[in-house]
Amino acid sequence: MKRQNVIPLSTDEAPPIIVELVYQMKIKDVMTTEVVTAAKHDTLRSVQQLMRARSISGVPIVEGRRLVGIVSVDDVLTALDNGYIDDEIQDHMSRNVIVLEEDMPLSFAIQYYEKYSYGRFPVLGRNRMLSGIITSRDIIVALLIRLDREFEKLERQLGKRPLELHGTLRQQFATRRYDFEHAGRASTEIKKILKERSVDTKTVRRATVAAYELEMNQVLHSLGGTISLQLSAAAITIQADDIGPGINDVDDALQEGYSTATEWIRSLGFGAGMGLPNARRVADEFRIHSSSQGTHAMATIYLQEGHGEGIGTGSAS
Amino acid sequence: MRVSDIVQPLGAEVLAAGSTFEHAEITGVVVSDLMSDVLVVEDTDFVLVSSLASEQVIRTADIVGAIAVVLVNGKTPPYNMRALAESLDQTFLRTSHTSFHTCRILAELLYPNSEATA
Repeated sequence: MKRQNVIPLSTDEAPPIIVELVYQMKIKDVMTTEVVTAAKHDTLRSVQQLMRARSISGVPIVEGRRLVGIVSVDDVLTALDNGYIDDEIQDHMSRNVIVLEEDMPLSFAIQYYEKYSYGRFPVLGRNRMLSGIITSRDIIVALLIRLDREFEKLERQLGKRPLELHGTLRQQFATRRYDFEHAGRASTEIKKILKERSVDTKTVRRATVAAYELEMNQVLHSLGGTISLQLSAAAITIQADDIGPGINDVDDALQEGYSTATEWIRSLGFGAGMGLPNARRVADEFRIHSSSQGTHAMATIYLQEGHGEGIGTGSAS
Repeated sequence: MRVSDIVQPLGAEVLAAGSTFEHAEITGVVVSDLMSDVLVVEDTDFVLVSSLASEQVIRTADIVGAIAVVLVNGKTPPYNMRALAESLDQTFLRTSHTSFHTCRILAELLYPNSEATA
């Protein structure tokens, strides 16, 4: 039979960041502290009503805050089947309750789901009193929230630090379809990086115009992609890679004034059919390749004199 | 002619005063609502006149190195447009004049002795 509650996450072999998180996070960071409980002299029927009213599937039985047993939805079903639903809880509850402790790392809870087939585990505090309850849903939600935060942190770091290796700087930016709020941000960042590296104003302008045209093209026409900057002593390369749907006829798209833009794209100030021709115009070298899998365009602007100067003559390949 | 010289004749509101505001010398005007057309311009040191109230106008102006953006027709820019101008150090004005009148005023200031504008 398929085990339903197992969390498919190896606490040893998962990516280091996940392993670190499940050892760092404590059960008490994840558990629900408002626990719905019942007393051992209550009837199983009252537990059934409690489960329905609160949409829960397990109720710890307590004396004060001391845990003495647990009743699950299975126990209630069995009671209904066998006709003892009006009996007192203490006659039928499970007394050997598997519990967790609130200071244990979250990895323990994940391992317990591997080991036992229960849907929830009561959690005991320092004084061995009931302090909470944990379900696989609690764990998944808490992990997602923490992962989201970790990824944001990572992305911020990635965004800040251009990678510099053997004198070549590389930086990549993501674009999303119709994300006008962020459209142009990659180009603005590229401009900043080039200015910081003391590239002359005219060259910065050519490179950012190419980047901006390619970036707007991705936002307006593709399903999303990346704009990459590569800066070496010899040249600036702006590379645009998207994930589709591709340009039907690249030669047409390189004609000035050719546009597939809709009215509302034009109302934003774009879609005059100048994008690709303009990116090619400002580049010393321009290559573009497109299929339904995506479009890949590369605009190169030389930095060293004599290696092509002024406005280049790009070529389509 | 500087940005500070055109504010009063245009009856303009200064929405953002970048570092170009006091000292940069304006030598030309580009008027367009199509940013694609602005991006092919090779001039520098111009004022960009547009009736398009969009952040992309500010980005385009920044990329081509425009000295200032003048938003015409009394349009109210979205909040982000103004915020972006501030963060990109882009001078940003707004006037209630139309594109045509704005250009006429700028032309008279730029070419005070020209017969064409007399």
